[in-house]
Amino acid sequence: MAKSQSTPVDRAARLLDLVPFISTHQGIAIGDLAREFELSENELLSDLNTLWMCGLPGYTPLELIDLEFESGYVSIRNAEVLQRVRLLTKQELVIILLGLDILRDSFTADRTDLVNAVDSLIAKIRKIVGDVATAAPIVDSSHRAIIGQALQSRQDLEISYHSTIRDAISTRRITPLDLSVDFGFEVLNAYCHSVAGFRTFRLDNMKSVTLTSATSEIPKERDENEFQWTVHISSRLRTSLERFRENPGDLPTDNELTVIVKSFSQDWLLRSALSTLGSVEVKGPHEARTSIAKACRQALELYE
Amino acid sequence: MSRKTERLVNLTIALLATKRYLTKSEIFRTVDGYEGNDESKERMFERDKDDLRNLGIEIEVGTFDPLFEDESGYRIKPENYQFQLGEVNAAEIALLSLAAQAWRGASLGTSALSALNKLHSIGIESDSELIPDLAPSIVSEDTNLPIVISAITSRTVLSFSYINEAMQSEGRAIEPYAVAARHGHWYLLGSDLDRKAQRIFRLDRISGPAKLQGRTGSYEIPLNIDIDAAFSTQQPLQSATILLRDGRAINLRTRTQTITDFETEEGWQRVTIQFRDRERFVEEILWYGSDVIALEPQDLREQIIGLLKEGFQRYG
Repeated sequence: MAKSQSTPVDRAARLLDLVPFISTHQGIAIGDLAREFELSENELLSDLNTLWMCGLPGYTPLELIDLEFESGYVSIRNAEVLQRVRLLTKQELVIILLGLDILRDSFTADRTDLVNAVDSLIAKIRKIVGDVATAAPIVDSSHRAIIGQALQSRQDLEISYHSTIRDAISTRRITPLDLSVDFGFEVLNAYCHSVAGFRTFRLDNMKSVTLTSATSEIPKERDENEFQWTVHISSRLRTSLERFRENPGDLPTDNELTVIVKSFSQDWLLRSALSTLGSVEVKGPHEARTSIAKACRQALELYE
Repeated sequence: MSRKTERLVNLTIALLATKRYLTKSEIFRTVDGYEGNDESKERMFERDKDDLRNLGIEIEVGTFDPLFEDESGYRIKPENYQFQLGEVNAAEIALLSLAAQAWRGASLGTSALSALNKLHSIGIESDSELIPDLAPSIVSEDTNLPIVISAITSRTVLSFSYINEAMQSEGRAIEPYAVAARHGHWYLLGSDLDRKAQRIFRLDRISGPAKLQGRTGSYEIPLNIDIDAAFSTQQPLQSATILLRDGRAINLRTRTQTITDFETEEGWQRVTIQFRDRERFVEEILWYGSDVIALEPQDLREQIIGLLKEGFQRYG
């Protein structure tokens, strides 16, 4: 949050919020305060300098907010009027509401105390903003916590993973590398010792996550083949593009589209092509077409 | 730039501290920062009021003296300014903080931070010991999400370009009612002004930034909005009977209604399963190749056979 991005109004809001915060944290170190508000120390000092000029009409030393922040620690006096914690804006209430919704489903069955506490907070907030937002989590928050721990301590994980491409659940030992978001889904990039290769794991497909005490050396680079298929889409353009996880740069002018799809997983390409038999034709490579024909024949035999 | 910031803070302090309404002329005379001629002071004040309202700070207008009826006064009632969730205990602070933290790094990170700062100003230590080790997180890289939420909370018409199934962009204008995160996507429910009916939109199918249009508070959000119910009225449930190979098609297996062994051939189970979107269901069955056989309804079975034949001919 660079200061250049914050408008005078944003800054005013922040100043109003600094007062109650300092009031309940008298003598807080400048560095700590800056961290709480995600500001650089210079930005914070400039905020405090502005706040120093503010106060009740009259603006004599008796009416101005009295801040002390020269020795590296901040305290505040003469700010009774602003000491109240400001109300949460509706936007803030909505995001807290969504966060609570996610949190609610994260507790284990024995923590009904916490579920009840969350429910009563949700009810309180809904009374103010209405039923305008809900969220159903697809990732277990305790899994994410363990992954975070493993990333920090560089320990390996053992996961039970449902691979939708292999259509199987298996246990794997992995060295986690980083978390990211892939087409809206949270994924963990990792080195998988079970297949000796780099893999991407969707967090919502993890059935269990356990921290191991092992740490491992992993190869620096991935040396696997990336497959490239040329795909021609003639109907259901949006759904098919989403399935092949392609963003067309520009919207197509006619109702057809050819894209190059790349993946490290040939199985994924094959299953995606089967799924979209009605709207997509894989133009090449030749082996791709042969493998799709074979899969179609095998499936057809079941109907004879 | 900092003059404006200072003036807004000073105005807030003055209006909060006063026990009676302050007239505009009193404000201009005593609050630091109102400069220039009367007209420019007026303009400044009007803008300041709007800015404070956008921060959720309501300025009350009233007449304080029957003798000066034509001159209205302004004040901020402390009870309308302060934290509105009432008494909260240490565990509740911890839960609320955790809920806000789920947004860190997301497109609403700034609002999450300011909510957290407020929660931590209350002066009650958040008791995180009480709560198991969880890291809730909300994925919302979508830069339209803050715009959508602000349109809903301010009840303002929203317009955007929406990508349809043919990948053409259509202009839409809606009165937004609610957002929901479901199955890894954000959905927006609203009343489509052109189609005069409720519609659901997937946020990642909106192309470019959505725009707020017209006045705030221009419509009412119906009570008891239920986005899940809205989903089901758009696509009624249908049912199918299919065969699954032993241990395969895990995703379909978890959604089955009934499951029995297939009497005619070993190694298969007969299941009944419900679906809403026919085309998606067909694609799902095809995904599993020779591990799934469609039995009923007959037209579903024929559609699958037709697609497989077509595929075999095209690629063979």
